[in-house]
Amino acid sequence: MKLLIIEDEKALADSIYSYLQQKDFVCETAASFTEARDRIEQYDYDCILLDINLQDGNGLELLKALKSNHKRDGVLIISARGSLEDRVSGLQLGADDYLTKPFHLSELGARVAAIIRRRHSAGSNFIRLEDILIDVQARSVTVRERSLDLTRKEYQLLLYFAYNKGRVVSRNAIAEHLWGDDTGGNYDFIYTHIKNLRRKLGEAGAGDYIQSVYGMGYKLTIS
Amino acid sequence: MIRGILIHELDDALRVEEAEILSHVHTLDQLPEPSSYRDQQISFAPAATPVRRQFINFTRLEHHRHDEWQPYRQLLFPVTVKGQVYTASVTKSEEETEDLLAWIMLVTAGMILVLLGMLFMANRLLLRRIWQPFYQTLDGLRRFDLSKRESIVHAPTTIEEFRHLQTVVQQMTEKIRKDYEMLRDFTDNASHEMQTPLAIINSKLDLMIQDQQLKEMHHRQLQAMYDAVGRLRQLNQSLLLLTKIENNQFGQAAPVALEILIEKKLIQMEDPIRVKHLTINADVLPCELQMNAYLTDILLNNLLGNAIRHNYERGTLNIVLRQEFLQISNTGAPLSFDPATIFDRFTKGGHSEGTGLGLAIAKQICDNYGFALTYAYEDGMHILRIQFKHSMTRAGHSEFRQNAVLDSPHE
Repeated sequence: MKLLIIEDEKALADSIYSYLQQKDFVCETAASFTEARDRIEQYDYDCILLDINLQDGNGLELLKALKSNHKRDGVLIISARGSLEDRVSGLQLGADDYLTKPFHLSELGARVAAIIRRRHSAGSNFIRLEDILIDVQARSVTVRERSLDLTRKEYQLLLYFAYNKGRVVSRNAIAEHLWGDDTGGNYDFIYTHIKNLRRKLGEAGAGDYIQSVYGMGYKLTIS
Repeated sequence: MIRGILIHELDDALRVEEAEILSHVHTLDQLPEPSSYRDQQISFAPAATPVRRQFINFTRLEHHRHDEWQPYRQLLFPVTVKGQVYTASVTKSEEETEDLLAWIMLVTAGMILVLLGMLFMANRLLLRRIWQPFYQTLDGLRRFDLSKRESIVHAPTTIEEFRHLQTVVQQMTEKIRKDYEMLRDFTDNASHEMQTPLAIINSKLDLMIQDQQLKEMHHRQLQAMYDAVGRLRQLNQSLLLLTKIENNQFGQAAPVALEILIEKKLIQMEDPIRVKHLTINADVLPCELQMNAYLTDILLNNLLGNAIRHNYERGTLNIVLRQEFLQISNTGAPLSFDPATIFDRFTKGGHSEGTGLGLAIAKQICDNYGFALTYAYEDGMHILRIQFKHSMTRAGHSEFRQNAVLDSPHE
């Protein structure tokens, strides 16, 4: 899988690069509009992370160029502009998703993974975690052919961990992903949901893959 | 004056009569027959000395005419026949004169009224036509909405003052629009400038916690940093949102079914509600408002979020929704600050983790829609109440009525 990170803020580009760079992802970075344009013209990417506020040009122009050349690259817009119009115009131009700064890297990881899954495993709507099988289309989970009865939040949690497997996901990132800003300043219920999810997975006979990391986050590890 | 003229006429007639009598006496040297008709009497009376020629007015009670006092005009003059001096008197009734006078007055008054009426109508029509460009400009100003990009349409006019007015209005609205757009750009730029550093800090924290060498004490510090960055992010977003609402940058009001939104919100917030073991009493009747969907969501979010966050463990949260109002009340400790400042920015209790902007945003949204948001603390309950403008539920009617009121001054 090949990713292109178009971001003129070097510190942020580095962070994204280190988080996404792993054995099946090859990341490249472009720090300017012109550099990005050259890259896009020469290569195909599975997913392009596009900051639309570049020093030397509007990222939306790159998106337009991509679409007019009938390129099939997935595009995730990263923008500091959270206004509704920007979001709508970005998606209308053919972007797959839109993420507003600041974001958690785990959120970014989940969105990128979702885009790649939708684009490249056409027909395959399944994510496998050892003995756990997630059917993204049906929003259902089976462990060794046995269907699990998960609540919506538990399902979302598991999917989020699956997209960020092997990495520590902070409690704050989970709260924002699942509840937005509606947490009322209390994160206690995250613990309850994770406890329930682990219990249900355990009862179905799956391995205990979700570990707590000092109470500040969680990590799904598949050996 | 007319009366004077008529009396003069009458006097002339009397004088003609006098001349006739005098010429009769002169030629025949004898008195004519005294005569007495309804409107003219002539009589002669012997006199010792010649009477002084004079006109007199008098009134006489007329028995044959319903006992009314009738005015008369009389001319007395001396006549000498065969050495004998007589006083001749010619009397004419003024009654006809009075009648004529009344008619003339009536006709004149009628004419004046008709003329005045015509003048008034002509004036009105003319004035309306002349002032029409002015009212059109006024109307344009009234309808002027910054968030829409429409210019004010001016009626063409040859009147210099109105042309001046139109130019000034045009320049003013252009300037306002330019400033408004600059402000919007500023909002967007401020957002960009602050969000990127925040994104960098956040991403570095996300990377840091991947490090397996970290000790528990590091994690605790990292958690504090996470929370601080999270608050900064919320603060920044709330400030931008507040500016945007203030600038009325949210158009597109659509019918919103508040009762359904409240149900949805309660489902969304079931986790925080469950953690605090709150009792929810929702007494909700259908209520449809014309609002922007996003702002409605934020309004409910902030009010309900507040009622949950500042509630006691095992407290209650009451929601009452009617056509005219929404009232959200919750148990909670009394405010540690002046209740009058509750809707001010950055007003919050010492223990609060919030930004202190939630209610300021709610207030701003209510202000934009003309709703009245009020706070009260009664019997241990914090009560937030939104009184909707009654006409909001019947927008068409209100608009019509408002226009009628505004139109009346120049009608």
